[in-house]
Amino acid sequence: MFERIPELAQKFRLLRSRVYTSTNTLMKKAKTILAIDTSCDETSVAVVRGRCVLSHVEYSQIAMHVKWGGVVPSIARRAHEERIDWVVQKALTKARLDLQSIDCIAVTYGPGLAIALEVGIKKAKEISQSIKKPIIAVNHMEGHLYSPFVQNSKGNPKTDFKFPSIGLLVSGGHTELVLFKDHLVYEILGETRDDAAGEALDKAARMLGFGYPGGPVLERLASQVNNQDMYRFPRPMIGSNDFEFSFSGLKTALLYKLKEMTEEEKNKELQNLASSFQEAVFQTLMKKTKKAMMQTGVNHVLVGGGVAVNKRLKTTMRAMVTAQGGSIFFPSFKYLNFDNAAMIGIVATIRAEHGLYVKDDDTIDREPRLSLLQSSI
Amino acid sequence: MTRTITLSTQSIKQVINEVLQVLSSGGLVIFPSDTVYGLLVDATNEEAVKKLIEFKNRPPGKAISVFVADLNSCKKYVSINQKQSAVLSKLLPGPFTMVLPSIHTVQKLLESEKGTLGVRVPDFQPVLQLASSFGKPITATSANLGGSSPHYSIDSFIHQISQAKKDLIDLIVDAGKLPRNKPSTVLDLTESTVKTLRSGDISFEKSNVYQSHSAQETQNIGRELMQGLTKKYGQKPLVIVLKGDLGAGKTEMTRGIADYFEIEKIISPTFVVYYEYAICDSKSKFVHVDLYNIQEEVEFVHLGLSDYLKPGNVMVVEWGEKLGKLYAEFQKKAEVVFVEIMYERETRRKIIVNY
Repeated sequence: MFERIPELAQKFRLLRSRVYTSTNTLMKKAKTILAIDTSCDETSVAVVRGRCVLSHVEYSQIAMHVKWGGVVPSIARRAHEERIDWVVQKALTKARLDLQSIDCIAVTYGPGLAIALEVGIKKAKEISQSIKKPIIAVNHMEGHLYSPFVQNSKGNPKTDFKFPSIGLLVSGGHTELVLFKDHLVYEILGETRDDAAGEALDKAARMLGFGYPGGPVLERLASQVNNQDMYRFPRPMIGSNDFEFSFSGLKTALLYKLKEMTEEEKNKELQNLASSFQEAVFQTLMKKTKKAMMQTGVNHVLVGGGVAVNKRLKTTMRAMVTAQGGSIFFPSFKYLNFDNAAMIGIVATIRAEHGLYVKDDDTIDREPRLSLLQSSI
Repeated sequence: MTRTITLSTQSIKQVINEVLQVLSSGGLVIFPSDTVYGLLVDATNEEAVKKLIEFKNRPPGKAISVFVADLNSCKKYVSINQKQSAVLSKLLPGPFTMVLPSIHTVQKLLESEKGTLGVRVPDFQPVLQLASSFGKPITATSANLGGSSPHYSIDSFIHQISQAKKDLIDLIVDAGKLPRNKPSTVLDLTESTVKTLRSGDISFEKSNVYQSHSAQETQNIGRELMQGLTKKYGQKPLVIVLKGDLGAGKTEMTRGIADYFEIEKIISPTFVVYYEYAICDSKSKFVHVDLYNIQEEVEFVHLGLSDYLKPGNVMVVEWGEKLGKLYAEFQKKAEVVFVEIMYERETRRKIIVNY
């Protein structure tokens, strides 16, 4: 019947193409992908099929115990070279597969620490040559953007992609707002000009006398005073007309505040200082995301990255997005917020569907400051 | 034969008495906590600790934290300075394991290779009562075998282990299914062990002193500094070590230096340790390093920083005083300039450049 109404048919087809009831179609032809991420201090390997993670192994699952009773007696972070073989093997064993059953290899080639990225790329090339299977090069930030859609081995959650969406990626190393237009099509709305949001939280915690990691500590202290904002620290660039972030000035504002307080006052005010700082960071993230929603008219929001495990951020973001009549998605499993190879594998699934394999392995090189724009098709 | 008793509000007193008896005689007890089920032994009894390590298949030398009744008792096992004490009193009791320097009053097997110990004051009355009546620290490791996930119910744990392991358990205290709280967050409150350099440690021929009143001015000083250095050293590999507290303006100075090479969009490399940038389409690289997160000297082995000391390359190292032993190597292979930025007041920084 649509043949008679061509415009409508066109529209319908467009709509159809945007709704990815993809699980089934994907499963039929889905490739088994071995994914490697060594972008910073996590050596992580996953085996995925479609959007399902068959296995995911990261060194720090053990490294957490390295200090606290682990398996491999090396305390150095970023010692990827020593660990990669072990982690690859473990991921295959957990998935009950051998290398021969892998259809392609996915690897993060940026952004990140050059020497760390190199280890993953080298390993991917090695495996690719030994089993004669192609490589898919993935941008680490794409991984975070796809992280809310990663499923466990049973195919849950069933959440489907919704395009276009706005992605807020917040971690210790990154803070950016992205317009996720369609599969593999990205536009950067704004990013941090100096410190990342997670870094700001960690450094504030350190200035207040806490160890690492600082995020969970600030979260708890803030909750003890109901996330009050007594100090009203400046929210840098909040009034700017773009979607850029800056958290370095906020860090300096906390420094100045602390300089004028005595030790006793500081200790008495720890909770309020922590809470006010956290609010300054989160309110900035919220306001810019809201502005992005209003200016683009897009009301699906994805939030990924380590900072997104913070309950305060989750609750307030959810409230804001819901009030705007939108929907919000977070990664379903906590590990997906942090650097992990599972999300890299899921991006590779989509890239494989588009036939985006690396043609010549020799051309893959690490790109420490790789931008999402460079990966947009 | 392992005995199982049930923990309920009525039975607390009796249960604690039984557990105390088992712990005193060197036994291994499975006990609930505010997070997951834990494996408890007397942390001062060598035989008991060895039994625990055998049970967990844990290689010796890997740390195990201890339950302590309150903040005051922590001081009997770890050294706590005033600042750390303020921090602890805000967070404890709670789901945190605090890593601090051990004062070696527990079994050495429980400490880390660095001589630190994890202490835990859980937000869970039965454990606190137990620790307080026992008067000694009790191990606080989760009830699981090395590498597998922790358990929220006795059944799930018992099903996972072999009979030989079961025989090692002396008493199980069953409190039913625990709420699925995450295992405790480990917070490292120890200071970095990286030896830091002071400008007095190194001798320089010359030093210049500048004053900056704004971020922009700090950038300008960086740009001019670079201009002078390129004139002086040409293509020699160059390292600029930046020292200064959080918020002093190190990244601003780096921006100025990078701007000289027309490199824009400098962002903080704290998380990844360093970012590299190409210098004007040449093969030379501008490397922006930040050692803020480096905790141990051994980490340098895996960073490959020395590989960048090649002609034409420029490296800026924030928190460069943490280079430690590497500093001598840098001096041998490159021209090193040591810049210290000092906070004087909100609108004034003193910048000392040592050549």
